[in-house]
Amino acid sequence: MKKKKKRSLSTKLSLWTVLFAGLIFIAAMGVFFNESRMAVQRIAIRNAMLILDNTIQHVDNILTKVKVATDNTDWLITRRLDAPDSMFVYSRRILENNPDLNGCSISFEPFYFKEKGQYFSAYSLNTGDGIETTQEGNVHYQYFSMDWYQLPKLLDRPCWTEPYVDFNPENITSPEMIISYCKPIKDHQNNFIGAISVDLSIEWLSQTISAVKPYPNSYTIMIGKGGTFFVHPDTTKLFYQTIFTQTLLEPDTAITNLGHAMQAGEEGYRKLDLYGEECYVLYKPLGDTGWSVGLVCPTRDIFSGYYHLANTIAGIVIVGLMLMLMIFSGVISKQLEPLEELAYQAEAIASGRLDEELSDLHRNDEIGQLSLSFHHMQQSLVQQIEELKIANEQKGRIEGELKIARDIQMAMLPKIFPPFPERDDIDVFGQLTPAKEVGGDLFDFYIRDEKLFFCIGDVSGKGIPASLYMVVTKALFRTISIHESSPERIVYTLNEVMSRDNDSNMFVTFFMGVLDLPTGRLHYCNAGHDAPLLVGHTGAGLLPVDSNLPIGVMGGWKFTKQETLVDPETTVFMYTDGLNEAENIGHQQFEMTRVMETARRLQQDDNFKPMVIVDEMMGAVRAFVGEADQSDDLTMLAIQYTKHQEDITYQRSLTLTNDIKRVPRLNAFIDEVCEANGFDMATIMQINLAIEEAVVNIMNYAYPKGTKGDITIEAKANDTQLSFIISDTGKPFDPTAKAEVDITLSAEDRAIGGLGIHLIRQIMDNINYERIDGHNILTLIKKLSK
Amino acid sequence: MEVKINNQDGITTAQLIGRLDTPASQEISGDFDNLTQYAAGTVILDCTELEYISSSGLRLFLSLRKAAASKGGKIIVKAINKDIRSVFMMTGFLNLFEIQD
Repeated sequence: MKKKKKRSLSTKLSLWTVLFAGLIFIAAMGVFFNESRMAVQRIAIRNAMLILDNTIQHVDNILTKVKVATDNTDWLITRRLDAPDSMFVYSRRILENNPDLNGCSISFEPFYFKEKGQYFSAYSLNTGDGIETTQEGNVHYQYFSMDWYQLPKLLDRPCWTEPYVDFNPENITSPEMIISYCKPIKDHQNNFIGAISVDLSIEWLSQTISAVKPYPNSYTIMIGKGGTFFVHPDTTKLFYQTIFTQTLLEPDTAITNLGHAMQAGEEGYRKLDLYGEECYVLYKPLGDTGWSVGLVCPTRDIFSGYYHLANTIAGIVIVGLMLMLMIFSGVISKQLEPLEELAYQAEAIASGRLDEELSDLHRNDEIGQLSLSFHHMQQSLVQQIEELKIANEQKGRIEGELKIARDIQMAMLPKIFPPFPERDDIDVFGQLTPAKEVGGDLFDFYIRDEKLFFCIGDVSGKGIPASLYMVVTKALFRTISIHESSPERIVYTLNEVMSRDNDSNMFVTFFMGVLDLPTGRLHYCNAGHDAPLLVGHTGAGLLPVDSNLPIGVMGGWKFTKQETLVDPETTVFMYTDGLNEAENIGHQQFEMTRVMETARRLQQDDNFKPMVIVDEMMGAVRAFVGEADQSDDLTMLAIQYTKHQEDITYQRSLTLTNDIKRVPRLNAFIDEVCEANGFDMATIMQINLAIEEAVVNIMNYAYPKGTKGDITIEAKANDTQLSFIISDTGKPFDPTAKAEVDITLSAEDRAIGGLGIHLIRQIMDNINYERIDGHNILTLIKKLSK
Repeated sequence: MEVKINNQDGITTAQLIGRLDTPASQEISGDFDNLTQYAAGTVILDCTELEYISSSGLRLFLSLRKAAASKGGKIIVKAINKDIRSVFMMTGFLNLFEIQD
């Protein structure tokens, strides 16, 4: 795997380099070859044209020589018309002087020489071995009708014949294709007397012309006025085919145009396909003959050198690129070798072998740098993993401790429901649903002296600080409310303590109430908390609250107390903002409207017991929130006052003035009541003691010295308990708020007072104080033992 | 309510007779003041005929006990009935006084 990676990298790099070099080569070569090709073509055509010119010059020279020879002889003939036989000498001399010529005849009109008869034609023929001279005119060879004789006679000027077969029935040894230059012979009166004809072998002409070949496969053609081939390497085409013959079978405008151009005596070159091969054809007219000579050069010949060069260069480039590829690949591969090792070591480190020995590369390049970085990475990895381990351990410990803190915090909250199974006048249900981290919600409740003390609160912020503040708040609530029954003073004291040295500026929104269970009277004080709901038979609504300030914000704040009478079976529902500010995924809040909706629904269903109202509210908020995380503690506390009408079976009352001397009267009254309710003597004595203490305290403290007032003791009994309701019109005096005496102290340390209330608490089952309409109402209850 | 004080052989005996309720405590507070002068020695509070005691009565007992403690004397509570013993128990007085049957 590693090897493959490395190899592919070096191969890739090499390939890219070579590919790039190749592209540059191709571009450069492309331009070079194109330019070269054009140059080669230009040079080739110029060369060919020169050769063509030379050829034409050469042919022209021959033709001129023929003319000159003829002209030179011409005047001799006219001088020696008196000696006909000298014509043989002239005829022979022309051939002797011009060995290239095929034959020569000096012919005369019939009977020009009377002595020679009708036919006289002095004819010399170059047989190759020598020159034969004969008289060739006879009955069978009526030379007068031949072209070479007729043309000069008719045209009255020298001219070239078209090629023809020199046919002499008497001399059939030379059936050659020839052309003749013929010229009229005139006497001194300028009368046509005969013709001189000099023959040129087409074959020889063709050989002469074709002898010059610029390229191995090039050849020369010559056509006559009608397009007939005079010269062509393919001898079968000679005289029998024209340049147009081929186009009759397969129309080819290029060839046709070429033919026309040559016929028209034009000069130039054309590129065309000739017999299946691409050729350049250069053409030029041949003097005044009306013939045209063409030089056919196959393209492959012209560019053969060029192609050879191109192939060689391409070969060199390809071989060079391949060598380059191999060398690059090898060099890069060699250079990258240490990377393989590094990769192996990296894998080892990745798999956890942090102590893997790293090789030292001693290189100054990037790979050496990488190796160095690698060393550093290994070192810092080891170090960081060590630190991480420690951090994780610490984190684990902190998390464990946080969980314990959370558990302790939760354990502080009331969690046994119903909390007062023995009572039929009160039902309480509370629930704190914690968010993920420790939070600062709290609730608490307990009954003291027939009063339900309860509170709910929400500490600002989250985390440990909030939870600490919550614990302190809850502990203080308990401590302060033990000797203080009035909520505004409890909250005031709480605020004084909590706002002192509150450097972290924490605060608690707090609501607390004191529900007097015998009467259903609720005293409450709000410290910046949300108003509770009242849900009862008559409807559902908010309890009016003064907002005051949250606890901890500012010391010295005078909290206001509020008061209401709770109808039987009405539920007080309290909550923290974890309820109304619960958010769903869309960040919408549950809001008070939904809280109220739920409350109203339950009210209409006549189903608002504390547990039901908390459960239903929880169900509603869960359905609303859906998948979203709970971001804050959610606390709900519901209290239902379920006081029922007592079935009083026994009732007596006694009114005393505030005079201690009236105590024996009181004792007699107590004895009577207790006996009527079936208490034994010992208990009667104790109840006496308790009631006497209570009444004497009232005499001493509710009515200051010198003032007069009445104290009424009302005894009521039902099936379960005997209650003494002691009321007076003195100044407010709450004996339940007195501090407990410590009965374990030594005589020296013990205070003289405080024993009375202690005894009352010891003897009676319940004690309750209320100040109602200017009356101190103290209720002492003793359960009936049945 | 009646208190009979008898000083003999350095031991002072106070016989408490009747109900020691709140008015009675006021009545006999002078007798207890007298008793404090013997608090340097041994004072026996004979409760054989004590029927009832209120917290005012207990306060008298405690004041006497404090005086004895400061003077190095000793207070013995003698023959308290079952009901008063339970009151003593509730108030922790059983630990403050030497109780004799």
